[in-house]
Amino acid sequence: MTKHIFSRIKHYFNVYQGFVITCFIESMNFRLHFVLLILMDLLFYISALASIHIIYNHVETIGVWNREQLLFFVAFMLGINQLTMTFVSESYWRFPELIRSGDLDFILLKPIGAVFSVFFRYLRPGSLLNMIFTWGVITYYGLRLNLSVFAWCALPFLLLLGFLLQNAIEMVISCSMFWMLEGSGVNFVRMEMQQLARWPDFIYNKIVSRILMTVLPILLIGSAPVRFLFNINDWIPFMGMGLGILLFWGILSFIWQLGLASYESASS
Amino acid sequence: MKPFLSKWFQTMQVSWSNLMVYKLNFFLQIIGPMLVFFFIKLSLWSSIYGGYDYVKIGGYTLSEMLSYHLWVMIAGMIIMSSTASNLSEDIRLGKISSYLIYPFSFWEFHTAKYLARQVIQIVIALVTIVSCYFLLDRLYIAFEPVSLSIGIFVALLAGYYWFAVNYLIGILAFWLDETWTIMVGLQIMTYFFSGAIIPLELFPETMVEILYWTPFPYISFVPAKILMGHIPPLLPVIGVLGFWSLLITMISYLVWKKGLSLYTAAGM
Repeated sequence: MTKHIFSRIKHYFNVYQGFVITCFIESMNFRLHFVLLILMDLLFYISALASIHIIYNHVETIGVWNREQLLFFVAFMLGINQLTMTFVSESYWRFPELIRSGDLDFILLKPIGAVFSVFFRYLRPGSLLNMIFTWGVITYYGLRLNLSVFAWCALPFLLLLGFLLQNAIEMVISCSMFWMLEGSGVNFVRMEMQQLARWPDFIYNKIVSRILMTVLPILLIGSAPVRFLFNINDWIPFMGMGLGILLFWGILSFIWQLGLASYESASS
Repeated sequence: MKPFLSKWFQTMQVSWSNLMVYKLNFFLQIIGPMLVFFFIKLSLWSSIYGGYDYVKIGGYTLSEMLSYHLWVMIAGMIIMSSTASNLSEDIRLGKISSYLIYPFSFWEFHTAKYLARQVIQIVIALVTIVSCYFLLDRLYIAFEPVSLSIGIFVALLAGYYWFAVNYLIGILAFWLDETWTIMVGLQIMTYFFSGAIIPLELFPETMVEILYWTPFPYISFVPAKILMGHIPPLLPVIGVLGFWSLLITMISYLVWKKGLSLYTAAGM
């Protein structure tokens, strides 16, 4: 049994290695696009951080957080954004075309998980390099906040959990494209959700905050882990985050099957 | 004259039909993001002010700040209606050959499409203004015909500038494989420097002085302030916007001519 699991993991790892290599070759053929992608992400990161700085030049606190705390939160969210941009973003944009053109057929025929092939097929090597910037700012603001040793050790795992929750929710939402004539608009819904999650839970009113922490738990992506890092006793939202990950990956496997059942190849 | 106008009108009608076929997609791509962006700003600024209307930040009370962001959203509906994605695809895939033999040029076709979209966006903006006027009990919407007319006029000028920039970036597809990175980069810069997130009064003074020579403030800040009833001297506003629009249009013309000499009709 264990041997079987390991051989499957190895198989997926080998396939992913192939995906990575082809994406690197492709990006090297379009070097200007590669550079522009890096610049675009950097512009976004800098403008997000600069906005917070400008606001804090006029106020002491926003909600319960001071400048460093909110900047650390934003840096954490940029870290998740960088992972998403690198590993899955491109695939989300190509998914509606796969459904519309019927090219999804070829993916379904392959002896590998279709969800994996659809959502992890394309990697953006340019965005990978921006990890230097995002980890740089996370570390800088973490140092300014004197994070504990435990918090520093937990940080990479929490970032990964945030990435997993965000993308489980986004993949579930992307599945709605199976039922749409033109699904590219769904990608804008995903982006709006990212925008909502990019601010801490306490800026929203109680009802909205409760909905976005439970029904559609996008505020758990960043608020739960960062609150946990600031105060280890604030663990309830963090547990909610764990539950959210399990729940949404479960929903994904169910809704994917439903979507496939209504998929009509090129005519859909 | 009549056949000439008829071509424009026919193209606009086709664009309206296309937009109406994918109504949900249009809503998700254009209107949805604006509403979500407005909701985030409403939540953020309410949280910054702590709900107190007597506090002033950058000269704004909470209701003035919310009113400003409401007008930014309405101005944005009129200004940021065009996108360059289809345009670059037409060039990259070699679809522009037909425009070279049609008695309706590529620029005319896309300008007609932009006008069609602009008409819809103006209707949506007007409906939003009327709805806000009745729903928000005149708190955020000061319905002054003069400022409203001037504000919409400036927004239409800025809308043309935005279309011209989009068009220019789109036709860079003669040289670039992907142009969306430049468009998104420009959008990020525009959101930040135009005062769409933070009013320019909160920015450092020197920076604002420089910004007034660029088109950025005229995309959100200036139209929103005019719509709020603060009408600045109009000559510099029209002068700067006119200069940038003319410059971008002339560059587009040269880029198109140069690009066409490289075009092979089989895509780029």
